[in-house]
Amino acid sequence: MLNMMRITLKGVFRDRVFQGIMALAVLFLFIPSAASLSMRQVTELSVTLSLSLISFILLLLSVFLGGTSLWRDIERRYTFGVLSLPLSRSSYILGRFLGLALFLVLVSVVLGVAACVAVNVASSLYPADRPVVWSFVALALVYATLKYILLVAVALLLSTVSTSFFLPVFGTICTFLASGISQQVYEYVHSAAAVQTVSPLFRQVVTAVYYLIPNLAGFDLKINAIYSVAPNPRGLALTACYFLAYTAILLAGSIFLFNRREMK
Amino acid sequence: MYALEICGLAKTFKGKKMRTVEALKGLNLCVEPGEVLGFLGPNGAGKSTTIKCLMGLLRPTRGSATIQGRDISSAEARRSVGYLPENPAFYDYLNAEEYLLFVGRAFGMAPELLAQRTEEMLKLLELWEHRKRLIRTYSKGMVQRVGLAQVLLHDPDIYILDEPMSGLDPIGRALVKEIILDLKKRGKCVFFSTHITDDVEKICDRVAVINKGQLLVVDSVQNILQQGTEGYTVTVVAGDGRREEVFVTTDRLQSFIRDAAGESRSIEKIEPRRKDMEAFFLEIVAR
Ligand SMILES: Nc1ncnc2c1ncn2[C@@H]1O[C@H](COP(=O)(O)OP(=O)(O)OP(=O)(O)O)[C@@H](O)[C@H]1O
Ligand SMILES: [Mg+2]
Repeated sequence: MLNMMRITLKGVFRDRVFQGIMALAVLFLFIPSAASLSMRQVTELSVTLSLSLISFILLLLSVFLGGTSLWRDIERRYTFGVLSLPLSRSSYILGRFLGLALFLVLVSVVLGVAACVAVNVASSLYPADRPVVWSFVALALVYATLKYILLVAVALLLSTVSTSFFLPVFGTICTFLASGISQQVYEYVHSAAAVQTVSPLFRQVVTAVYYLIPNLAGFDLKINAIYSVAPNPRGLALTACYFLAYTAILLAGSIFLFNRREMK
Repeated sequence: MYALEICGLAKTFKGKKMRTVEALKGLNLCVEPGEVLGFLGPNGAGKSTTIKCLMGLLRPTRGSATIQGRDISSAEARRSVGYLPENPAFYDYLNAEEYLLFVGRAFGMAPELLAQRTEEMLKLLELWEHRKRLIRTYSKGMVQRVGLAQVLLHDPDIYILDEPMSGLDPIGRALVKEIILDLKKRGKCVFFSTHITDDVEKICDRVAVINKGQLLVVDSVQNILQQGTEGYTVTVVAGDGRREEVFVTTDRLQSFIRDAAGESRSIEKIEPRRKDMEAFFLEIVAR
């Protein structure tokens, strides 16, 4: 499994997709100047921009690397060589997942440092009213990373049943988008106003989807970081538990399905 | 205990629109340790399917198989096996050396031994100068050589090779033959699929012929060649020193020798004239 992780990491670093996406990190250079255009709340804006940029990069990485890594192995027939080693399918999947997860962690550490520099530069140019609480920024980063690691698990699960990269890549994007709005839609169809207009069947479907797809709202601590508001520790703990449980279920599903998969 | 034991192995592929392909129809085959068995069959006979089932890549529809007594459904069964896939492909973002290290670690080889064996194998297969180049840049034959290197790396007892000679130049083919003969000498079991009857004749102890998912013949190469003997070409030297070649059928050979002695003609050479493996193979498959 460690072996598989190592190979995964090596593969990612030598991947063109990774190199292309990381080129986006150059945008950090422009954050201080972009933020300073606003003249007010320069620090807050630079924190917002930095965190958004990191989120965006992590999203791209998790969708494309998570969605294509298994597909590529099967498509290019690397699996014949690899799965015929005395390596169980479960350690293959876990190795892939942990390799990608570790990679996302590394990327967010590196980008986090870049963000700190950018925010520091911005706030030294235009001192903020409220000082940046770095621990909140770090916390926001950690939870963003967890969110995208969970998304990698979604992508892997979809890859185990799919023969193309279409389902994993677009399925993961859809999951991400849907999870962003599922809370609001759920609340709407259960609201008093909607009870009259929405059919019961639709309400049930929405409820089912709401419980099925991951709820990623709790992972978003951007507001806390930007306005230096302490996050609720109980919420943090719950979100962490949610992450562990949901990821474990996704991985168990992936292993179950991949064990049944035939290498044709 | 058999090195490989295949019992009633069947595999049906389900295609689109309810179409199914019966690629294997109840295969029974046992391979002894220390034996080199050639798995011969025309295109689409089911050779690769059999091998993929053995390696746990495909799930058999029916039947079972064991490798050294261990059921093929467990990853442990593959620990004593070196497998060369058909038209292999390896992580092309690695170089040959890195790939071998990856394989060696998967087999749990100790680091020093692994480094030493990696060097030996790369040199044996003439990849040593190219070891730092990414596999992406390799030619077909070079990839095949990487495949052979990763098979031999951990010195397993059983070798399952799907068309080991494919894509290799004559030098490479000769090398593979030499390697297999060397493995035989060291008491290893080699099970390899091929279309090339000549290779089977030269290096195998036994041959199994498969066609349309069914095993047609399993016999020793020696037997087959013996049975295929149609007669003998006898070179006789007459009293006046004239040399003559005579064709003698098998049943007449004894009396011919006796007669020759009586007529004071000396026999210089007796060569069996026989159908070769290819003729045998063509005949069986056409049947
Ligand atoms: N994934 C698949 N789906 C459907 N049919 C398949 C699949 N793989 C193989 N087959 C069929 O199974 C049969 C056996 O194929 P197999 O690859 O085992 O042949 P082979 O003996 O290795 O041939 P070759 O000498 O060409 O390599 C063929 O008829 C083939 O069409
Ligand atoms: Mg084949």
